[in-house]
Amino acid sequence: MTEGTLAKRAAVRVQGLWKRFGEQVAVAGIDLELPAGKFIGLVGPNGAGKTTTLSMVTGLLRPDQGTVEVVGHDVWRDPVAVKARIGVLPEGLRLFDRLSGRELLAYSGRLRGLPGAEVDKRATQLLDVLDLAGAQHKLVVDYSTGMRKKIGLAAALLHNPEVLFLDEPFEGVDPVSAQTIRGVLERYTDSGATVVFSSHVMELVESLCDWVAVMAAGRIRAQGTLAEVRGDAPSLQAAFLELVGANGRDAGSDLDWLGGGAR
Amino acid sequence: MTGDITPVVVRLKLSLLRNGLRQSGGRRAAYVASAIVTFLFAALQLIGLIALRGHAHAASVVVLLVAVLALGWAVMPLFFPGGDETLDPTRLVMLPLRPRPMVRALLVASLVGIGPLFTLCLLAGSVVSVAHGGAAYAVGVIAVVLALLVCVALARAVAAANVRLLTSRKGRDLAVLSGLVIAIGAQLVNFGAQRLGSSGLAQLDPAAEVLRWVPPASAIGAVDSVSEGSYGRAVAQLALSAGALVALLAVWSRHLTRLMTAPDGSTLQTEGSAVRERTSTGLARLLPAGRTGTVMERSLRYIWRDPKTKAAWVTSLAIGLIVPVFNAWQGTGSIYFACFAAGMLGIQMYNQFGQDTSAFWMVALTISTTRDAYVELRARALALLVITLPYATLVTVLTTAMLGDWPTLPEALGLSFALLGAMLATGAWTSARFPYSIPQEGYKNVAPGQVGLAWVSIFGGMIAAALLCAPVIVGTILLNASESGDPWSWLMLPAGAAYGAAITLLGLRLAAPRTARRLPEILAAVSRG
Repeated sequence: MTEGTLAKRAAVRVQGLWKRFGEQVAVAGIDLELPAGKFIGLVGPNGAGKTTTLSMVTGLLRPDQGTVEVVGHDVWRDPVAVKARIGVLPEGLRLFDRLSGRELLAYSGRLRGLPGAEVDKRATQLLDVLDLAGAQHKLVVDYSTGMRKKIGLAAALLHNPEVLFLDEPFEGVDPVSAQTIRGVLERYTDSGATVVFSSHVMELVESLCDWVAVMAAGRIRAQGTLAEVRGDAPSLQAAFLELVGANGRDAGSDLDWLGGGAR
Repeated sequence: MTGDITPVVVRLKLSLLRNGLRQSGGRRAAYVASAIVTFLFAALQLIGLIALRGHAHAASVVVLLVAVLALGWAVMPLFFPGGDETLDPTRLVMLPLRPRPMVRALLVASLVGIGPLFTLCLLAGSVVSVAHGGAAYAVGVIAVVLALLVCVALARAVAAANVRLLTSRKGRDLAVLSGLVIAIGAQLVNFGAQRLGSSGLAQLDPAAEVLRWVPPASAIGAVDSVSEGSYGRAVAQLALSAGALVALLAVWSRHLTRLMTAPDGSTLQTEGSAVRERTSTGLARLLPAGRTGTVMERSLRYIWRDPKTKAAWVTSLAIGLIVPVFNAWQGTGSIYFACFAAGMLGIQMYNQFGQDTSAFWMVALTISTTRDAYVELRARALALLVITLPYATLVTVLTTAMLGDWPTLPEALGLSFALLGAMLATGAWTSARFPYSIPQEGYKNVAPGQVGLAWVSIFGGMIAAALLCAPVIVGTILLNASESGDPWSWLMLPAGAAYGAAITLLGLRLAAPRTARRLPEILAAVSRG
């Protein structure tokens, strides 16, 4: 895909997006253009505004200002077109956790208007692939963090969305589950779909993504392909620290008593 | 390990108690306050029981009291699982202890505390109120010790048998329901006391006749038997209590051994076979297809599975039944009290999205049009009606049957249905307009800072519902007031039902666009706490 068609086929286009909570500015007028068919990482330290941004992009939070388009449709003016095309795994919101894993998928798929038989078929496959088949009849409230992320991912994938938004999908997830999630997501993007996920773990983003947007204090500091954002820095971590201006902070001199034998 | 560990465990309990109190002033104050209240209460009981001495029904009262006390001991560990962590046997799991000395040590340690002291006071008072003669007092001493040990062993056995349950999520769910059991129990006690007041203590005799053979009440029964000179009966009753104590200790010891030796499986992955199948039930097949059936199924499942929703429903069901039926039973009721059932159950339509908690995002992401919102709300109303409609009918018929006022049944039913419709309509609208969060932990039903919102929603909604019912109420009054109205009063049934249905549909129609427009605001409002 050339650069020209990329611009035309943006999965997400954000313009002048603002959100304030009282005095606090969570998102301060950001512009974003995320290309379709890519594995996209939204990175930034805690409190950078990643969750707020993703909530506004997916229609779960109303922005104070600005527009959001997902695959060419305005999120707030054309919700019918947008909601059918996106899958979401939010962070910090609950699932209907008094349903079993299978019931949750059945509920979620039917709510989206898929035929019952098709929902059940897809649910069985997703449960198998995500290694949840053994726990499918357990209530989600009794699931571990990793299992919850996986069942949330299954619910987000069930209706085969064009764009998948995942807020911290690897937070608190054990390495085995993380590898499973990763495998599913890579298979999904290979088919031409877009994944947008937030994280503050740079190594993860570096190894997964081909496109990165760096956020800090409610603003976008850089966006582009991994190579573009990394630039001359040895790693994304180094580039990131430079971007958010955390490199100058040297903790060495203040804690000179620390280590080297008790005194 | 040789030597007796009993004093060690008792000392451990005492120092844990002391250190617990040392931790914070508030905790110390709470403990002292509860101790004082308990002692005052125990003293009053003691005085009351001694005053009862010589009364014709003293034995019945005392036996019943001890039975209730034992029930309290049995239930307490289920509702207050953290109540006695000092005796948590799983903390001792690393120590090389044999079951028998351990059971003895833990039993003795359990006798230390406010609860056992209170029980001791009550038991002593019970003996004083029924014992006549030296032999009776001698048996009384044995009876008090025996009854106290049975109570304590009962609590420990129940706790040990259910420790897996109590430390799990299900145990915490159960704790949420405990307030409810106390509330409904209080209602029943209240009505029971009223009946006793009106018809005397003789009412208790049949129950006491059975309970005096049930341990540990049978120990106190033995004291009464000795006072009456029937020594054989006394020996049998004492033997029953002693037998119960031995049996309880055996059960406790067995569970304790299993707890201490079996690995903790709570974090193990259970594979398919061990888990109960939760496939789609017959329920799903009866429900309509599409969003309507899906939403109804989830709503109905939540009534049973979500502790907060369950508690709210059980309260509504119980009070909706108790108020009209008990009033009718006491002859003070009116058939129109039956509307209470419809009113109480209609409240469940309020704050629908708050009941979802932040999981509402899953709903919000699938509502794109006003039509979606309408179907979602309608399905929730239908799920409610599946239970409410038959229940309100049943309560109305039951009340009518008790009052024998069959000619008034149609209009009472009509009024019930109209009220139910008005509650559903206002409930749907306030769900969209005044959503608020329901905290999942503890007894609170409103998140901090949203109390005003909840009041406006519920009370405003109820007043509005009453006003909306006005046409049907006025119709009923007019029919009753006019001379020739009686033959036409059956008309109020279809009229009320039609009015209720129409107003529900209207309420849903008004609520739907608002819900569809305000999804992010509703999600923010229901996601606190």
